[in-house]
Amino acid sequence: MHIPDSFIPIGQAAVYWLIALVFIALALRWVRREMSDEKVPLLAVLAAGVFALQAFNIPVTMGTSGHLVGGALVAIVLGSPFAAVFVLSLVLIVQGVLFGDGGLTTMGANIVNMGVIGGFVGYYSYQGLMGLTKSMLASAAGAAWLACFIPALAAAVELAFAGTFPFGPGLVSMGIYHALIGVIEAGITAVVIKLIATARPDILDSSAGVPA
Amino acid sequence: MKVNYQLIAVGAALALVVGVAAVFLASSDPDGLDSTALITQGQKELTAPANPDAEIDEAILPGSFAYSAPFPDYTLEGAGKLTDVALMAGGILVALAVVLGLGFGIKAFSRAGAP
Repeated sequence: MHIPDSFIPIGQAAVYWLIALVFIALALRWVRREMSDEKVPLLAVLAAGVFALQAFNIPVTMGTSGHLVGGALVAIVLGSPFAAVFVLSLVLIVQGVLFGDGGLTTMGANIVNMGVIGGFVGYYSYQGLMGLTKSMLASAAGAAWLACFIPALAAAVELAFAGTFPFGPGLVSMGIYHALIGVIEAGITAVVIKLIATARPDILDSSAGVPA
Repeated sequence: MKVNYQLIAVGAALALVVGVAAVFLASSDPDGLDSTALITQGQKELTAPANPDAEIDEAILPGSFAYSAPFPDYTLEGAGKLTDVALMAGGILVALAVVLGLGFGIKAFSRAGAP
């Protein structure tokens, strides 16, 4: 759901950049104050993994494909939505600047959707679902699905404001496609978290609910 | 500070395997956003298969800013798969290095600034 430059007029794109910059500043403060030095390599490895998985488009029928976004995954593993903002922002910068994947003016909107909304929805719905189900796998899958679906709806609303998509049909189409793409997000996120919890439970944040 | 080089090496290797596999296996169907754009421009129907010739008409969209990335769509014009693999690997390693550099940079900066 990388929005290209031409999809949003520059004035509106600037508003999303401002919102994104506020959250980037908060994410930088989180790295400085809350995250331990030992977590830097994990953050970097997750960025590399998210970059690779975002290139792996999988068909979801109806002539459409999708890939992992990764906001929920990063937020759950590091135990903070700001980890997702930090990693997704930097991944989006590399993708946009080097590969033209997502625009530069619209990078703010992409950071808001995938990093901020994806990270916060992923982290807090995981916490909520863990409280309800006590199942790490089910909670990770549910949180990841929401962290794909809700940012897609946000993008549809932004693009309706921009005049690119008609409001209703845009929401329906973005919603249907990303309800399916969310299954990819759910599957990969749950599997990766399960693998980390099995192989290296010590690197998973304690808020993920796995005894280290 | 002890740096976990093993984690970096194993993580980077896994990401490279996934990224290289993506060069050969990833679907070329439009993603959910592009499919929606094609529908609104009358070039696709919601449940219909992708039309490989369909292209989003950027001229009728509200934004006019244009930027030419050095490697658009993770490739170079006329390049073979080997180039694509190298670009993908490069992108993965740049993402890794940027986060590693900025992360350690912030940590070193905050230690230096601490009373």
